[in-house]
This record gives sequence, structure tokens and C-alpha cells, in this order.
Amino acid sequence: MAHQRKRQVMESMFPVIELVVILLACVEFCGAGTVVDVYRLIQYDISGVPFGSRFAALNHHAASTHFPPGSDLSRTVLIIPFRDLNISFVKEYISQRQPLGGLLFLLPRIFSFENKDDIGSNHQDHASEQIKNLLAELEQLLLHSNIPYPVYFAFEDSDTEAVLADIKRNDATGQPATATTGGSGWVSGRELGSGFGMGSRVEGRGLVSRSDFGTRTGFETDVRVFFQGRVSRRGVRVGVRFSGRRRDLGWVSGCGSGSGFGVGDGFWDGGWGQDSGQGYKLVVSVPEPKKVASPTITNIQGWLPGLKTDGDNQLPTIAIVASYDTFGAAPALSVGSDSNGSGVVALLEIARLFSFLYSNPKTRGRYNLLFGLTSGGPYNYNGTHKWLRSFDQRLRESIDFAICLNSVGSWDNELWIHVSKPPENAYIKQIFEGFSNVAEELGFKVGLKHKKINISNPRVAWEHEQFSRMRVTAATLSELSVTSELFERTGGLVDSRGFTNETAVIRSVKLIAESLAACYSRLGSNFGDDVLEVADGWSFENVHLKHIYGQEKNMEIFADDSSLAVNPFYIRSWLEFLSRKPRVAPFISKNDPLVLALKKELEDHTHEVNIQHEVLDGMFTFYDSSRARLNIYQVASVTFDLLLLLVLGSYLIVLFSFLVITTRGLDDLISIFRRPPSRKVKTA
Amino acid sequence: MTVFHFFNCAILTFGPHAVYYSATPLSEYDTLGTSIKAAIVYLGTALVKLVCLATFLKVSETDSFDPYQELLKALIGFVDVAGLYFALTQLTHRNISQNHKFQAVGLGWAFADSVLHRLAPLWVGARGLEFTWDYILQGLEANANLVLSISLAALGSLMWLRKNKPKTLIPIIYICAGIVSTMPSITSLQDRVATAVSFLSEARPGVALTGGGWV
Repeated sequence: MAHQRKRQVMESMFPVIELVVILLACVEFCGAGTVVDVYRLIQYDISGVPFGSRFAALNHHAASTHFPPGSDLSRTVLIIPFRDLNISFVKEYISQRQPLGGLLFLLPRIFSFENKDDIGSNHQDHASEQIKNLLAELEQLLLHSNIPYPVYFAFEDSDTEAVLADIKRNDATGQPATATTGGSGWVSGRELGSGFGMGSRVEGRGLVSRSDFGTRTGFETDVRVFFQGRVSRRGVRVGVRFSGRRRDLGWVSGCGSGSGFGVGDGFWDGGWGQDSGQGYKLVVSVPEPKKVASPTITNIQGWLPGLKTDGDNQLPTIAIVASYDTFGAAPALSVGSDSNGSGVVALLEIARLFSFLYSNPKTRGRYNLLFGLTSGGPYNYNGTHKWLRSFDQRLRESIDFAICLNSVGSWDNELWIHVSKPPENAYIKQIFEGFSNVAEELGFKVGLKHKKINISNPRVAWEHEQFSRMRVTAATLSELSVTSELFERTGGLVDSRGFTNETAVIRSVKLIAESLAACYSRLGSNFGDDVLEVADGWSFENVHLKHIYGQEKNMEIFADDSSLAVNPFYIRSWLEFLSRKPRVAPFISKNDPLVLALKKELEDHTHEVNIQHEVLDGMFTFYDSSRARLNIYQVASVTFDLLLLLVLGSYLIVLFSFLVITTRGLDDLISIFRRPPSRKVKTA
Repeated sequence: MTVFHFFNCAILTFGPHAVYYSATPLSEYDTLGTSIKAAIVYLGTALVKLVCLATFLKVSETDSFDPYQELLKALIGFVDVAGLYFALTQLTHRNISQNHKFQAVGLGWAFADSVLHRLAPLWVGARGLEFTWDYILQGLEANANLVLSISLAALGSLMWLRKNKPKTLIPIIYICAGIVSTMPSITSLQDRVATAVSFLSEARPGVALTGGGWV
């Protein structure tokens, strides 16, 4: 009786022991290994239709693109260096929805915003142009597909290169995975290969259906290995009872009947092919991505009031608008230096220049200037729409025309004015002529593109179309000649600082500023005189300016060496700043430093700066966790550990035998193995 | 990997102690008590050693070799010998032969050393995903340490417990005891030399140091 009770007590202890073991194991220790910053492919829905990478957590073995043909990659992360990217391969994989554990793209460092070597130089050579186009194609592909596994981007560095070289070598030498066990046997083998225990077939299959598996389960199965290892090697009774009690029937039968070892064989085949030698395991432990609750978009507006004379009831207004947010495959990398960082920089510089002119009553124009930094640009200029809607009727009607700036940072000698009203329209004609005249002076061309608006189409390709829909004359100044699709040219991966040219921005600023100034002149004021006076007052002896002053039409107000010159340092510093700051609207909070910085800058140059927070229209849903840390662990396969166990076991047995023989003699050793039957005889 | 690997490393680290106990006549004469006592003495000794090291040794900012400090370190190493002396002679053991006594003491000594120095790193490190050879090497080190402890205990028992020592052997015993007890210092010195050599050989071709490699 007492003996039985004791046994019961012991048995009731086992779950407690297991619990303690699990608790101890759940305490995560920061392992060694390489840590790499990774940026996740965006995850979003358009009216409920999922796009992008649908998972974030990663815990799989790594493979390169040189994997043996025909192998199963459903639990493998493919590392694809962008330099030898085969786009058709990726396309095929994604379009056929082939199972993959994950994808990791290694981007060249020229796309990194931490890259400082290439800033200032203009990457227009053929090779980098090709890279750019390829990356843009890849980005569009990834953006518009629904990918049921995590996709990450990282930048090449010495660590990742070393790891990749190692993996490539392994892939090249590793014999192709034997698929003899086929089907679920193979899959469960694979599970084992990646750290899963010698679990029963039933459990293995159950696990495969789930693709994101946390470390906890990995551990549980490890425990299983642990205990079955004990069971099979030593035949300790505790182990059997322990697992039998805690696992479901499938496991017990698998264990009891010894079919666990059959599965083990399957594992041996599969696991060996996959994990011979050492491999790498990529781990990103992040929680499941959550929806961004009501993404806000923030518009910032600044106002420079013109000089009212007695006769004027209300001054006309000119609006200068640029959308500042971006969208791209990796939200944390979408810095958008050109689209539309360049537009924002140009706008700020124009505001700065005109704040000079407007600070003196003599040079203050008879136009109000309205500066708008709008958000939501990639989403059909939703922010612009909201901003315009918030205007009161009188203000909206007072707007003579609006100039929208979009991608003005990497052009050579031609800019485009996009309009939605026919070119014959008087206003359009006036704007276009003004611009093309100034452009001629500055030595480049401005072209006009007309695209009608289809009201029934929700797609708004250009920012001025939102104005036109509100019956405000507007035009977009851009280096792009063709209309882009949704999420195309919105400042994604490609759009880095290295590809943006600050002289292009300077020339754009000059073009716009001069054209706007020309408007004042045409209003018939003695504006030119005053500007000159002011310039003189600031003690700038500028013969050049005086010379030009003679001919009113060709007056150059913002000449390079005057006090009103475009400031290249200002432009450079703002371009640098914007090229470091990812600006995907849903991930910008209301009081983001970026918003505050833009607001402060506008406050310095204009009066009445307002910030408007709006909710992005419900069509889009975004998910967070856009950046993470990837741990790369060098791991040995379970096979290695099994071999190690074997070696250790034999070592201990040899040691035991040696010690027994030396201290007690050979006969004793033999008698140890004979004893159990003799004892049985005794008890009988 | 993970727990499985930990298990393997633990076998390698602590298995030999168990095997030694069960395979030799120690188990038959039930000398567990002696081993436990020795382990406790080891704990005390380790504490004393720690205090001594902390008191007398300067923390060297540079990795330079200071003979005086090294000598001091070796001298503090003799605290171990004192501890063993205490465990062998002063403790009241149950009536077991000298032959078994030194084995039991050495075993307890080595096991306590393994638990104190290797268990925690093993638990923290070997369960991580990252694979290194460190823990397997550490297990091998535990094996070597077992041999070292038992031989030291054997020498100690020869010196302090045997009454009728052969005269010619005495100097040899003392020299051996000296070498064995300064073994930690010797190995650390070797380590240092080896790292220096590898440093030089790596630095010569101008390859950047990866550092932290095991020697």
C-alpha cells in the first residue's frame, strides 16, 4: 500500500517537473550569433483584399538560390542577393504560390539611407540605371501580390556576405534531399531537421499546416526528443510514463509500439540531406502584425498674405503644394528622396525665398501664397482631397491656380507640366507660357501634358487632379512624363538619396520662383524696382541685376549671387534629412518629429501655419511591425547531436568498462551483466 | 539542437563523474558521504580563493604579462592544496581505506568544480540556437579536470597519509604535487602564449582579427 502511494505521489510530481522545465526553458536567453536589421515587406489590404507579406515571425533554416532542384522549401528561408536576382524566378515562385518558409532580399548598399559614399554624385550610368529598373520591377511585383510568408529586406554587409557564402557552399556540396520517404514522412523529417523532435507522424502532420511556429512549440518537441532519447537509449521507465501521460494517444502509440523509430528513419533520410553539416537558422521573433488603428494623415499649411491695396476686396491666391509621404515595399526604407522629398524641399525653399520678399511691404506681392504639405499622396492624394474639402468656399474660389510639385529631383533638361484642363484654357496657357519662358532663360525645356479626368475612376494619378475635381485650376510640375500606376513612383526602395540630384532641385526651385515672380510683374506693379531697391538696401552691389532690370521681361530676381539666390546648402540639408526619414503615412504619428520639423520650418517662413489631422479613407488597412532584428544562428543539425550522443554514450561505456576492469577485474564486469537474471532467480 | 544539445553537453561534463563513482569500488563501499564532504570543502575553498584573488590581485587593464601578479596567482592556487589537505586529513571519514578515501575526495572535488564552473554557462549557452564547439570543449575540460583532481588527491594522500614512504620517491612526489597544483597557472600561461602566437600569425598577413576564436 505504502509503496503504491509513494508511486502515486511520484507520478503526480511529473507534471510539476515538466512545468518547471518548460518554464525554465521559456526564459529566453539572448544567444550569440549575428544580428541584422531587417525591414519587412509591407502588409496591407485594399478593401479587404490582402496584399504584401502576411506574416512577420520567422524561424527557419536558410538556403540560397542554388538549392538542389526539386527540394521542398516550405520550411526554408531563401536568401536572394539582389545582385544576382533572377526576377522571373521570383515571379514564378510568387505567382504559383509555391510554399516557402520566407524570403530575404539583400539589397546593395547604395540603396541604404545610411550610405554616405555616393551622396552628391548622380547615378545615371547605365549599370545603376539597370539595377534601379530591376528593383522597381521587383518592388511592384511584391507590392501587388499576396505572399503567405514573411518577406524581409536587408542590406549587404560583411556579416550577411559571409553567411551567404557559407550557405552557398553548403547548398553546392550538399547532396539533393532524398524524397524517398515522400509526402508527410518527408515533411515530418523536415520538421525534425529544424529542431522538432522525433514526434509521432500524427503530430508532425498537424504542425505542417501551420506555417508560423513559435519557439515554444519548438521547445516542447525538443523535450520530446530529450525524453525519447532517454527512452530509447536507456530504457528508463520514467521517460515512457512521462510522455505517455502528457501526450495524446497518437504519441503514446508511436512511442510504445516503437514506430517512433520508424519516423526517426524517415527523419534520418530527409534531415540528413537537408542538414548535413552545419546550417544557419534565421530567427525573427516578433509578434503577429497588428492592424494600424485608424491611420492618420497630417496636412501642414502655411500662409503668406499679400499686400492689400485700398481697391482690392480679396486678393487672389496661388497655392504651392507638395505631398510629403511615401509608400514602398518596405515602409521602413521608403524615404522617397525624389518622390516626393525633392518636391517638399523645393516647396520649403520657395517659401523661404518668398518670405524674404514678403517681409518688406515694398516687395510684397498682391497675391496671397498658400503652401501646402499634404499627406496621403500614394493613396490617390487622399490628404489633398481632405485638405481641399476643409477650405471654405471663399478661399477655394480665391485660388487663382495651384502648382503641385512632384518628383523634381532627378531630371536633366526637360520638365513636364501636367494639366487636366485642355491646353487652350486661358489660365493653363498663361501658366505654361510663364514656365516655358523662364525655362528658356534657364536653358531647359518645359513640356505640357494633358490628361482628362475620369470622374468615375477612383484612381487619382496626379495631385492637381484633386484640385481640378474641386474646380480649381491646377498643374503638376514633374520630371515624369507618363502617368504612374497606383503605388508606382511613390518613393519606394529605389528612391534613395544617391539617385537624387540637388542641382536638379535647385533648377526646379528657380524655375518656379521666377515664374511666380513673373506673375507679379504681369500684374503691373513696380515690383522689379522694389526688389532691386531692397537688394540694394541689403547692400548687394549687383551689376548683373541692375542690367537685367532694364528689360522687365527678363528680370532675374533670384539670381545666383544675389541675396535672393537659391541656397544650395539649405536644399542639401533638407534633402539629406528627408532621405533619412521613412515617411509612410500610416506609420507617422500625429506628433512625429518629421511633422513637427516641417511645421517648424513653415512657421519660420510663413504666417498662420495650420496642421490638419485626418483619417485615411477606409479603403486601406495597414499592418505594423515594419522593421525587426534578424538573428542568424549557426546551428548544427539534430543529426549531429544524435551522432554526438552516440559517441558520448560509447565513450561513457568504454570508460565504465575500463574503470571496472582496472579496479575490480574483468570478471566483475561480466558479472555486472549477469547479475539481473541471477537476482530474478533469487526472488523467485 | 537546443535542449538535446544541452543534454549531450551535460552528459559529457557530468557523466564521467557518475561513471567513475559507479564503476569503481567507491559505490560498493558507499563513499558518497565523503565525496559530499569534499564538495563542501571545495565550496569553502573556492570562497576563500575568491576573497584572496579579489584582495591581492590587481585588475590588469592591459593584457600584459606581469610576473609578480602571475606568481601571486599561482600562490593563491595553493589554497586549493590547503583545501585538499583539510579534506583528506582533518575531516572525519567513515572507516574507509585510504585508497578509497582519496578517490572519493578527488571525485567530490572535481564534481563540485564542474557544477560551480560549468553548469550555469552550459544551461545558459548550450540551449541557445547558436552552435559553438565551446560547450563540448568545456565538457572535455571537465574530464581532464576530473583526472587532475584525482591525481592531486592521490599525491596528497601519498604525502600526508602514508606513514612509510620510500625515501627515494619523496622528492618526486613533492615535485609532482607542485606541478599538479600549479597546473591552472600553467595552462593559463599556455593559453596566453597560444593566443599571442595566433595573434601574430593572423596579424602578419594583414587579415582583420575576428577575435574570440578558441585556441
